[in-house]
Amino acid sequence: MTGLGVNVSRVDGPAKIRGWAQYTADVELPGMVYAKVLRSTYPHAKLVRVDASRAEKLTGVVAVLTRDDLKGMNAYFGPVVKDQPVVAIDRVRYVGEVIAAVAAEGRDIAEEALDLIDVEYEALPAVFDPVEAMKPEAPALYTERVKAQSFPAKSGFRLESTGNVLSTYHVEEGDVAVGFRESDEIFEDVYTSQKIQHGHIEPHAAVAYWEPSGKLVIYTSTQTPSSIRAQLAELFELPQSKVRVVVPFVGGGYGAKTHPRLEPLVSVLARKAHRPVQWALTREEVFLTAHCQAAVVKLKTGVKRDGTIVARQVEAIYDAGAYALTSTNTARNGGEVAGGPYRIGHQHLTSYCVYTNTPPTGPYRGFGVPQVCWAYESQMDDIARRLGIDPLELRLKNLVHEGDVFVTGDKLVSVGISECVKRAAEAVGWERDKEQGFRELSGKVRGKGLAVMIKTTMTPSNSSALVRLNADGSAVLLTSSVEIGQGTQTSLAQIVAEELGIAVERVSVTFPDTDVTPFDQSTSSSRTIFTMGGAARQAAHQIRQQLLEIGSRVLEADVEDLELVDGFLEVKGVPEKRRSITQLFQARFGAAVGNMVGSYDNQTTGGLDPRTGKGKGSAFFFLSACAAEVEVDTETGKVAVQQVVSAVDAGKAVNPRQCHLQNEGSMIMSLGSALFEEMVFDNGQPINSTFLEYMPPSMEDHPKVFRSLLVETPHPEGPYGAKGVGEAGLGPVEPAIGNAVANALGGIRFRDLPLRPDRVLTAIGSARGKEK
Amino acid sequence: MKIEIRTAINGRELEASVKPNQTLLEFLRDDLHLRGSVEGCGVGVCGSCTVLIEGRPVSSCLMLATNIEGKQVTTIEGLAVGDQLDPVQQAFLDNQAFQCGYCTPGMIMTTKALLNSNPRPTEDEARDYLSGNICRCGTYAEVLAAVKSLSGKTPPPPRS
Repeated sequence: MTGLGVNVSRVDGPAKIRGWAQYTADVELPGMVYAKVLRSTYPHAKLVRVDASRAEKLTGVVAVLTRDDLKGMNAYFGPVVKDQPVVAIDRVRYVGEVIAAVAAEGRDIAEEALDLIDVEYEALPAVFDPVEAMKPEAPALYTERVKAQSFPAKSGFRLESTGNVLSTYHVEEGDVAVGFRESDEIFEDVYTSQKIQHGHIEPHAAVAYWEPSGKLVIYTSTQTPSSIRAQLAELFELPQSKVRVVVPFVGGGYGAKTHPRLEPLVSVLARKAHRPVQWALTREEVFLTAHCQAAVVKLKTGVKRDGTIVARQVEAIYDAGAYALTSTNTARNGGEVAGGPYRIGHQHLTSYCVYTNTPPTGPYRGFGVPQVCWAYESQMDDIARRLGIDPLELRLKNLVHEGDVFVTGDKLVSVGISECVKRAAEAVGWERDKEQGFRELSGKVRGKGLAVMIKTTMTPSNSSALVRLNADGSAVLLTSSVEIGQGTQTSLAQIVAEELGIAVERVSVTFPDTDVTPFDQSTSSSRTIFTMGGAARQAAHQIRQQLLEIGSRVLEADVEDLELVDGFLEVKGVPEKRRSITQLFQARFGAAVGNMVGSYDNQTTGGLDPRTGKGKGSAFFFLSACAAEVEVDTETGKVAVQQVVSAVDAGKAVNPRQCHLQNEGSMIMSLGSALFEEMVFDNGQPINSTFLEYMPPSMEDHPKVFRSLLVETPHPEGPYGAKGVGEAGLGPVEPAIGNAVANALGGIRFRDLPLRPDRVLTAIGSARGKEK
Repeated sequence: MKIEIRTAINGRELEASVKPNQTLLEFLRDDLHLRGSVEGCGVGVCGSCTVLIEGRPVSSCLMLATNIEGKQVTTIEGLAVGDQLDPVQQAFLDNQAFQCGYCTPGMIMTTKALLNSNPRPTEDEARDYLSGNICRCGTYAEVLAAVKSLSGKTPPPPRS
């Protein structure tokens, strides 16, 4: 073994613990100037006047960018619909939208220049709630629908032509009307999820410059270098070969660094400045740049008395904010799996992506799934309670199995969900205490809860990899996968090492540089190990074949009888008959020179038909379960999580420790959004956009019993059976905690996130009132 | 207007002229090119800019550069001696106590300060002391394991 399935130490470890790792804001170029931007103070307004003439005259200002500079160029961008201008043109649509930008010799000068820009607004009526925004009388964010589109036909959703609903996704199976008639009990509820910050500790940053030849070079903290290159090329009408995107280490993203964020503006500003321009956001600006879509989920479920789920109807409304980005896909993604990982004969699932006058959102770890999982898994416990069935039993009775056909038409493979939930339940000692009546609730009470989840990955998608083997038996993997903390450089090195039979330490993995590294769809959707891992394995495999063929001649043996071990090609069972990789190079090239090269373009195929919502929704499915135990203080309303255990199906864990670390990240992140994280707005004005008022979980919130479990149900198409885990654990944490709180409080159900102490106290109070 | 200061960064004495409103973090990053300390929140609550002043942890994004006049400052770059890692750095490596790495220098510096002041911290003491360092990747269990592995192994700092 060369390290597959082993906890190989992180290749980026030494740089990171020495403070040597370079992030985008650390990049310094000769002559570099600094950008600051002027942002809208109105949630919705016409821009009557933008006058930057006084700012331009300030000493130290190099360039000022306003809408006037966008004349004659493609001024709009967007990965799905091109609705977002480089800077605001005719109107602003959220508090914080960029109106103008200054590049100056110092950040303080740039800041000072912003005060000299005069802006005149004409306020427009605004809408902040997605349900309100769907009403015909709601103020419209767009007077006419954007025509330019750039997304695959099989994305599943339909674009709407008017109003604030941007897109709709729908899929159905059977006939829910029949299903509800056949049901013994019907459950109908509305659940809401709040706006959440991604909270990556590295704020977004980018540095751009233009070579005199007309080539654009940009260093950026992104998860999607290939997409950035494509969109910048379109914006400036350049061949993609004349846009170079370089991505150093990225300090977390969780979805917030996908697709253009800072890149269009800083590139236009650098062109005007004729200097390299650095734009690094402050934390407050990060709050205005991306967040998780809030959602309202209406859920109706019909069940038999024995616990069989017969029918489920879901309407999920996602708040995209003011610009689309990929919220269309997020809403579809939630819609697809809104029925949960259950066998349900009658399903009717619809999701909407709706514009509001709030900051743009972005993919957030879980990509639309936690919002629906919160709904269906909370309701599942209400069902269990009413029917008098243990929540674990109820789930096991209805869960999907290997080979089942999902509502999208996908045949499910690698389905370790039952094992996940059983192991998570066992780990918290699943035997629930008898629930108390509301009047007996006093002091601190404890409860346990469970939840499960199914999620898709981006499909179709492409990843290309290129491997070069050197004559000394070392190799380089050229890849555009981003090292964002998940350990991708290490796990991809493990795959290449395994395939070539060399030590992991002899494999080097590049950072993305689109001049050099091949195309990759994105470092998102937990797709890297499956799709890029598959590409890297195949690329290395081609070199392996070359080595075997050369060795077959040199050693006079059949290819089938040869194996690569520790940098040597050996005849199986005859270890003295062997050649080093260097000797094989000599046999081929006459000297220890040259390269053997392998490359592979990996594509996952599929997609969903927008008319039916069906097709092949996912190259693989994420399946996971969470079990939690909480202690609720009935006097203060505070919920303390005592135990949280998450079990995810990793397919095959290439590096188990990295899988656990990623999973632990999902667990603690979701614990924050379950209990306290919430972006608050007042008439579109952000109220808590610093870490003083919006605090991600700290070590004090970290539960004492905190366990990640890996189930391994190999996926036939994943490299060595592997599939992603980065987001798998996130969805079930919120409902598992909610269910544990309900269990502690005699069945009191919370339908709105987060489970703030005031909400808990109010609910206890009203339950006591009803019981009297 | 600039103000002259005398200070010692990572054991090396230096004189510098700084702006009166320049933060210590800006001084370290922009003037001294020490980029291991990073800005996460700008308001002194995430801990990623933590450096040690006279052995005590400080959010360098909040402190003015002028305040290090006559003081000893230690940054992440000052911990290792050549190839010899500081035991805290080694423990973070051994316990895989990082993911994206952005908060890591600050987390290491606060851990260093914790062990300086309390060589045998209980888990609760470690949680309390490190609660001002946010790791959004959620690597808290591994950091606590690193601290535990160091407990009782750090000699008290030399008395001056």
